[in-house]
Amino acid sequence: MSTLPVAAVPTGSSGLQTPASEGIGGRPHRAWAWVSYALMGLVVVIYLYPLLFLVNTALKSNAEFLVDPTGLVKDPQFGNFVQAWQQGNFAAYVLNSVVYTLVAATVGTVMSLMIGFPVARGYVKHPKVWQGLFAAMLFLPNTLVTVFQLALRLNLYDTPLGYILIMASGVGVGPLLVTGYLNSIPREIDEAAAMDGAGYLRYMFTFLPRLMMPVLSTAFILQAIGVWNDIILATILFTSQEHWPVTLGLFNFKGTYTSEWTLLSAATMIVAAPLLLVYLFLQRYLVASVVGGAVKG
Amino acid sequence: MRNYIVFGRRSTAQLTFALGMALVVVFSLIPAVGILVISFTDIRSLPFLPVHWVGLENYRTFFSAAQLGYNTVALTNTFVFAFAVTLFQNSLALLIAVLLNQRLKGRNFARAVVFLPTILGVTVIGLIFTLIFNPAAGPAQQLWAAFGSSSAFFGDPNLAMALVIFVQVWSGIGVAVVIYLAGLQAIPQELYEVADIDGATSGQKLRNVTIPLLAPAVTANTLLCIIGSLQSYQLIYVLTGPINPATQVLSLAIFTQGFGGAQGGTVLSQGYAAAISMVQFVIVAIISLASLAYLRRRETAL
Repeated sequence: MSTLPVAAVPTGSSGLQTPASEGIGGRPHRAWAWVSYALMGLVVVIYLYPLLFLVNTALKSNAEFLVDPTGLVKDPQFGNFVQAWQQGNFAAYVLNSVVYTLVAATVGTVMSLMIGFPVARGYVKHPKVWQGLFAAMLFLPNTLVTVFQLALRLNLYDTPLGYILIMASGVGVGPLLVTGYLNSIPREIDEAAAMDGAGYLRYMFTFLPRLMMPVLSTAFILQAIGVWNDIILATILFTSQEHWPVTLGLFNFKGTYTSEWTLLSAATMIVAAPLLLVYLFLQRYLVASVVGGAVKG
Repeated sequence: MRNYIVFGRRSTAQLTFALGMALVVVFSLIPAVGILVISFTDIRSLPFLPVHWVGLENYRTFFSAAQLGYNTVALTNTFVFAFAVTLFQNSLALLIAVLLNQRLKGRNFARAVVFLPTILGVTVIGLIFTLIFNPAAGPAQQLWAAFGSSSAFFGDPNLAMALVIFVQVWSGIGVAVVIYLAGLQAIPQELYEVADIDGATSGQKLRNVTIPLLAPAVTANTLLCIIGSLQSYQLIYVLTGPINPATQVLSLAIFTQGFGGAQGGTVLSQGYAAAISMVQFVIVAIISLASLAYLRRRETAL
């Protein structure tokens, strides 16, 4: 019995069908094709319109916005971006956010490796207990109050170090991703490396990262998204404006320039643009990471 | 599991493990356990003030006449928000996933666009929708005007929660769609071929192949959404601020009680805020365990 001819038969050959009943990855029936395209177009519009409206507003002069707030921009004002950049002090905030995100996510990922590897291999006692703890760490109560108290009492309040340590310790699914992946890799690889004279540290920090790059980058990306997005912890841990991440800087900018919509839009664009750029290049990676982490969790 | 170590002495492994765990324990686990402990105290946001044990006082306050009205509103809002977000996000995500799983031109672009908000983050999303729902001159107002109506949007207590739910669904749906797509693509094509040979109709294929095999993805998505939405507050904070009664949820109540977002400052201690955290924790635990049990049973029943 050959399977090839069967596979070549289009899955959607009967007349009455909904898109849902379409064979997986199948080509929609002609009658449904245009409905599908229309729906897809609708989805794209619902997602792109808000962004395009933001760009449109960011380019308007105040006068033009007052006269015609929703129409297409006629006289683009690129000066808005310069003005927002300077008045919002965004250079400093973006730099803070980049530092917090890179350092916290890197430290968190290295920690996930340092605690996940020996547990997966049973190189520390009671691996089952630790494994259970890694899972339990995903379901903790809201710790705003105690984190604040801890920072206060350790003299870490209003310091970038305190914020980074707290953010780094939120490893989330990281250790579980590491143990899950290592369970699928035979121990013999450890043994072979040890025979060749690799020490524990060298193995963990040079061999393993190469072996499990996809998992480690997933852990890194998940944590990085969390740090970059945080606004509440930054609000309660920082009083000095110089330490603010860009989320807080942008939110504060909104408070200051409440009704200057063009300037506010330009500021929002300044924060969104680098993210869009990163997304453009790392899209596949980012999407895969979030799914990998979510399903694991 | 064999417990010997191939790298000679065990101490290096123990040391690096302890180092990593120390950070997690100090900055993540101690605060988590600490929430329970300080919920029995009157600890305040200023250091050097004496801290007293107050027993169950904070929990009594939570259910006291003075606070019950506020807390009931916060609880109701939390449930409404979580239920609506879970329902709409999951059903719409499933529809979009099925739609974008067909061989359509430009489907990769559409997938990328739907996932985009995950990267943009709550502050940017919050500001974009503040702009869209700007009561003075936003496009939403023009749409309302076309129907001869007008609205204060986030300023309208009857509408604020619905809009917050809309924005949350808009921004969260991408992750759910991608998880459903992964689930759909994991279904072996052969099953549909076998069903075709058996002369199954499209409806039968949907009922007997797609839905049962997609059940784990539904469980994962629903659970993620329930846990996430019961505890979420960053987007609500950005969209409507910390003290809007129309969108006050439990997490925001913790923030306002603990850090004085409340008008006229906070009279109650951070111990009280910790008690709210514990109440929330218990609610999240009960609801997620109950949903998990229910969804698992459904999975096997299908």
